[in-house]
Amino acid sequence: MEALEKQFPASDFALLAVILLLPLIGAFVNGVFGKRLGKDGVRLMALAAVGGSFVLSVVTFLMLPKGETEGGAAALHWTAWHWFSINGRVMQTIPIDVAFRVDGMTAVMMLVVTGVGFLIHLYSTEYMAKDPGYHRFFAYLNLFIFAMLVLITADNLALLFVGWEGVGLCSYLLIGFWFTDEKNATAGKKAFIVNRIGDFGLILAAAMLVYYCGTLRFDGIQQNAGNLLGTVKIWPIGNLPTEPDWLAHASSSPWPAWLAKLVLPAKPVQVYASTLVGLAVFLGCAGKSAQIPLYVWLPDAMAGPTPVSALIHAATMVTAGVYLVARMSAVFLLSPAAMATVATVGALTALFAASIGLFQNDLKKVLAYSTVSQLGFMFMGVGVGAYAAGFFHVFTHAFFKACLFLGAGSVIYSMHARIHDTDRSQDMRNMGGMRNFLPRTRWTFLIACCAIAGLPGLSGFWSKDEILWKVFSTRVVGPETHGSTPMWEWPRWLGPALFAVGVIAATMTAFYMFRAYFMTFHGNFRGWKVVRGWKAAHAELGHDDAHGDSHHAEPSGPLEGPRPTESPWGMTVPLVVLAAFAAFAGFLYAEPIRVAPLAHVLEPVFAHSEKFLALREEAKGLLFPMMAPGFAAFLGGTGAAIYVYWNRQGAPERRFARSWPRLYRLVYDKWRIDELYDATVVGMVDALADIFTMADKWIIDGIIAKLTAALVGFVGTLLRILQTGRVQAYAASMVIGLGGLGWFLLRPHAAASIDYKNLKSAGQVVISAAPGLGYSYRWEGQGVPTGADFSPNRQIALQLAPGEKKDVVLSVKNAAGSVATTQISVASPGKPGGAGAMGPPPTAVPVRPTDAPRPEPPRDAEPPPAPAPSSAPKPPAGPAVPVRPQRPQVRPIAPGAAPKGRP
Amino acid sequence: MIHVPLEYFLAVAAILFVIGSVGFLLRRNLLVLLMSIELMLNAVNLTLVAYNRMQPQNHAGQIFAFFVIAVAAAEAAVGLAIVLAFFRVRKTVRSDDADLLRN
Repeated sequence: MEALEKQFPASDFALLAVILLLPLIGAFVNGVFGKRLGKDGVRLMALAAVGGSFVLSVVTFLMLPKGETEGGAAALHWTAWHWFSINGRVMQTIPIDVAFRVDGMTAVMMLVVTGVGFLIHLYSTEYMAKDPGYHRFFAYLNLFIFAMLVLITADNLALLFVGWEGVGLCSYLLIGFWFTDEKNATAGKKAFIVNRIGDFGLILAAAMLVYYCGTLRFDGIQQNAGNLLGTVKIWPIGNLPTEPDWLAHASSSPWPAWLAKLVLPAKPVQVYASTLVGLAVFLGCAGKSAQIPLYVWLPDAMAGPTPVSALIHAATMVTAGVYLVARMSAVFLLSPAAMATVATVGALTALFAASIGLFQNDLKKVLAYSTVSQLGFMFMGVGVGAYAAGFFHVFTHAFFKACLFLGAGSVIYSMHARIHDTDRSQDMRNMGGMRNFLPRTRWTFLIACCAIAGLPGLSGFWSKDEILWKVFSTRVVGPETHGSTPMWEWPRWLGPALFAVGVIAATMTAFYMFRAYFMTFHGNFRGWKVVRGWKAAHAELGHDDAHGDSHHAEPSGPLEGPRPTESPWGMTVPLVVLAAFAAFAGFLYAEPIRVAPLAHVLEPVFAHSEKFLALREEAKGLLFPMMAPGFAAFLGGTGAAIYVYWNRQGAPERRFARSWPRLYRLVYDKWRIDELYDATVVGMVDALADIFTMADKWIIDGIIAKLTAALVGFVGTLLRILQTGRVQAYAASMVIGLGGLGWFLLRPHAAASIDYKNLKSAGQVVISAAPGLGYSYRWEGQGVPTGADFSPNRQIALQLAPGEKKDVVLSVKNAAGSVATTQISVASPGKPGGAGAMGPPPTAVPVRPTDAPRPEPPRDAEPPPAPAPSSAPKPPAGPAVPVRPQRPQVRPIAPGAAPKGRP
Repeated sequence: MIHVPLEYFLAVAAILFVIGSVGFLLRRNLLVLLMSIELMLNAVNLTLVAYNRMQPQNHAGQIFAFFVIAVAAAEAAVGLAIVLAFFRVRKTVRSDDADLLRN
């Protein structure tokens, strides 16, 4: 131990690297080489990786008290590498490191993840033994352990998000593990998409934390949380006015006054930044931890293999939301409103999911809704600031819910060997009397069942009771604020109301869990009667999925499968271990009887929460009396289940279904929330997609693609006329082009560009004639400095007074003696000298060469190909006037000497 | 040495070039087309050497004419090969019939 402490000091705790990398290596080896390793090799690799991680997690837990203490809580740190930096609000550099941190809560969570993870790996080696995707399964499972460990050991929100998405990915991969069945693939997609909605909130929260707190590290957030006590204007957005007169008071306003007040209130709506951040974080948590309104993915996630349901969708991943709320407790404590939202949503989820669980017939569906309900309890706990209690429920729930799921898996395993159909082998109406076939499974299931129902002494009782007590007794004290906006305060009735909801949900929990237990393990085995072509479940219950109906078409006749037998030891050993923990783990945090070793680990982590919480006056001394409602919930729920399903074999339920068929079906159809979402959210998205499809079809495909193609096609049709395929036609066009080019080159071209650069400073304008081979130039006009004969002088400078206008005549002679002439007008802006004197643009007008006796008219009118109009800068004032020929000003110039080729 | 004026050479070259180009444009027989090209090239050659006569110290024009002849020889070789291949496919040497890509 000392050697370990020396090797891994608390500030550089590199042991975490080993813990994290072992599952990653396992995932890599199994994923890449799994097929060649064979099943034994895959099993060894997967178990060794997770087992090694577990052993080292135990070591970490034991070394934790020696860690650096910060505010009373010990912690171990390890920074792997610098990841990236961002700039904060005041342009400070915020480093984001790949850094890890272990404190009491993380250490406990690591034990749960690796410990329960190891047991479920062990279980899976038997459960999945005949699956062709064995190596793939264990690669995903190991990858999940890695991602989950990253999530819980992350030192900052950015790295946590990596783990957060990693577990989401593994969840998606494992829900859709049997992806050949479309129902499973759809369930995986649903889980992924619903989680995206939550992740949006988490990203938003991270951005706001960077803005307000200037850090993403959890301890930094805790230190700088005070910055979140500023108010933020959330409405009206931006610079919109608040209630302009015309809207609120004008009688002609088409808006009703209350609507105008709502849209543009008299005072801007302001909330505390802590509330915004808290709600955004909670949106992420509600997605991951399946709370209202984002819980819909979790029941569908049961499409995955049962060990996956146990590990990811019950014990570990779905509790990440609770973990994160506890981790961000410093933020939540600054916002009573956000805490109330968390607690209320948790309570409503607990009640709502429990009510759905009452009448489900699919064993895994019952457990799924039970998980959602228990997660609601956890959020209730962390919502009232009982972080240790809420987290303790995460801890105990991991054991009893994993045990229940694995027990259900054990039952399904033996049922499936007989029925070979997923839906039918999970239907509790086909079970019954399983205690005779699966004794070990039955006893462990019963223990876990008692634990979740809250039998005093078992783990679930302690954690649930602690939560209920805290909900009842805690008064959330808001932080002191200095702003003008008062902080929202908890109403006095909220705590007792949440407590009442919690007790009702706990009663339902006890009822539906024992209902499941009795329907599965007691009575007579009903599976003998399952026949081929069995349709009852579909016709009677109208299950909502439209799966391939291959088994509906089977010829009917009794099934001749083996009788159910107890699962192999590889599956029952984890059950026994988990059942033992489900029974006794409660004594790690049994506050009422003062046996709470775990509390000493957890409570320092949340020491900062004490000043925001207080004991309600009414609750003083009621600790033991308030255990009575929880105990009554257990007795009531269990008693009712015993009466209905043991004594009367479920007859009262059938009677209820007959007398209240619509209510029964509504509950059975999960309150038709999925249908509601389909009609609203999914329908809206679908409608949007339809609009985009139309846009794609008509705008992208129609206008952009088809119109372009049509244009190109049309031009092609025109050009195709030229492609005669006759060599002579091509040659003729070549000859004509050559002739035209030659003709052009033989003519002189008079054009000029005008430089106004120095006009303002020196009153000078520079006129440059376009150059050409063998050209000589003659400049004539007012104020032209050069002489009146042809010279190689290609440029002249003119002095212009403001408002003055000058005309220059340029003549160009080429080597053959032809001459072309153009007139150039330059004008200086300034005092207007007349109507048209405001500087007409420089015009360069080609003039027919004077050696041509009778020029054809069209050629004369052609604009010159000279660069003058385009390259000349526009005059500072005056509209651009198109080039126009100014024939009257052209002075006929005598033809030059005839071309002389003779030497 | 008889002094022939430059214009005579140029006139002959121009006549040769016009004959060649008109022949190229009007005739349809590929062999005749090739010969027309040769005629035009030779007209250019004639122009080159004629102008070179004006500068006895400089032989660029004559050397250029040799290059043109070499290129013309290569062109004739390739052109005849194409004509031969074309004849094998279409059993004709009319340029109008070289229209396989049109339809």
